Amino acid sequence: MANYYIHVGSITNAMRGKRLLEERGIRAYLHRSTRPAETDGCGYHLLVTETPGRAEEILRKAGVRVIRISEAI
Amino acid sequence: MYWDNAATTWPKPPEVALAVGQALRRYGANPGRAGHRMAMATAEEVYACRQEVAEFFGLDNPAGVIFTPNCTAALNTVIQGILGQGGRVIVSDLEHNAVVRPLWALPGAPRWDTASWCPNDQELVERFRRLIRPDTRMILCTHASNVFGVTLPIRKLGKLAHDHGLLFCVDAAQTAGVLPIDMKADHVDYLCVASHKGLYAPMGTGLLLCRERDKVPSLLQGGTGSYSLQPEQPQDLPDRLESGTPNVPGIIGLRAGLSFVKKKERQRIYRHEIRCLQQVYDRLYGHPVIRLYGARPDVEVTAPVLSLNVGEIPSEQVGQMLDAHHVAVRAGLHCAPWAHRRFDTLNQGTVRLAPSAFTTESEAEQISKLFLQIAEKSLH
Repeated sequence: MANYYIHVGSITNAMRGKRLLEERGIRAYLHRSTRPAETDGCGYHLLVTETPGRAEEILRKAGVRVIRISEAI
Repeated sequence: MYWDNAATTWPKPPEVALAVGQALRRYGANPGRAGHRMAMATAEEVYACRQEVAEFFGLDNPAGVIFTPNCTAALNTVIQGILGQGGRVIVSDLEHNAVVRPLWALPGAPRWDTASWCPNDQELVERFRRLIRPDTRMILCTHASNVFGVTLPIRKLGKLAHDHGLLFCVDAAQTAGVLPIDMKADHVDYLCVASHKGLYAPMGTGLLLCRERDKVPSLLQGGTGSYSLQPEQPQDLPDRLESGTPNVPGIIGLRAGLSFVKKKERQRIYRHEIRCLQQVYDRLYGHPVIRLYGARPDVEVTAPVLSLNVGEIPSEQVGQMLDAHHVAVRAGLHCAPWAHRRFDTLNQGTVRLAPSAFTTESEAEQISKLFLQIAEKSLH
């Protein structure tokens, strides 16, 4: 199964997002983005090991900004 | 003996000193800037502090916890940020210079209306209500006078503000960690905190807690470790209001201080401090040359601060006399000339006593005796 990066920008968004997802049973790994987006620059992402639809919804509902989602290769 | 805890608490709990030392040894990397282990471990510590602070003050979102150098910086952020865009504010006549001076500095000042404090909550709320104008944007008030300990009914004032579509900002410099504060129940949009006082954190730590009904723009722009290709300041909190390297040892110390307050129980610390002041008050009450200001200290009525004067002796001189006995108090105007005008103590200032969790009943007795000695000498 594919893994996905959910790019959330700041370390606080990432920490908060990780806790929100894990409280709802979604394992999330927090990393510094190794390939900063050309539009945003450096920041942090959450790596999830399932299709990211539910995770994205949880984050957006809680007000955590989701900048973009990409497949982890 | 240290009775100057309204300026900053001392001593700090041993666990705070320990946490600060540990921060320097183990969490020495810059949080939110890198991905290496120490940076991530440090960021975890900082976030844990945000979470605990948010929970303590009834704030849903830990991202709304902004670390500042002090309460003054938090107040400036709100005053310049919100009122810099225009509009008027209603304040009390007990405000500290941390409020008065940023208000004076606003373009087009004066843009504030002042409600005079009175001990009747209903009447006080009514005084604020009468000052609401079409261009009023915010109610901003101290939770308790830093000089006289008298309090303002923030829950009622918060409700008044929100009922009229206004923002509500509280200067909790003297009360955070001492009196109960629940931002949601108290309708507080912005809470400004001096963490180095009632939360027993190191000096150089303050907090701005934001519920963000209205976005506060940043006064300081710079590096946040995020969105670095964007020239404009990130809009997410806390990054919008936290540019530059944070005070990590202070933040970790703050977390330890907050744990101390929670472990000891805020309410018990508060009751203890009030008991110490009641002891002093009762020993000095009725003396012909000692003037005690405000009501007798009491829980749910006053913050643990007591102001007094001895005859016509300048308060600073009484402070010096006490210092000769190795007793630390604050004297003078306490950066709050408005409050002194309200209580008619502008010429003499006051001697201020502020105990902490570490003050003992024996110290309350000793300082009472010293005041009685100074008073007796002044009679001869």
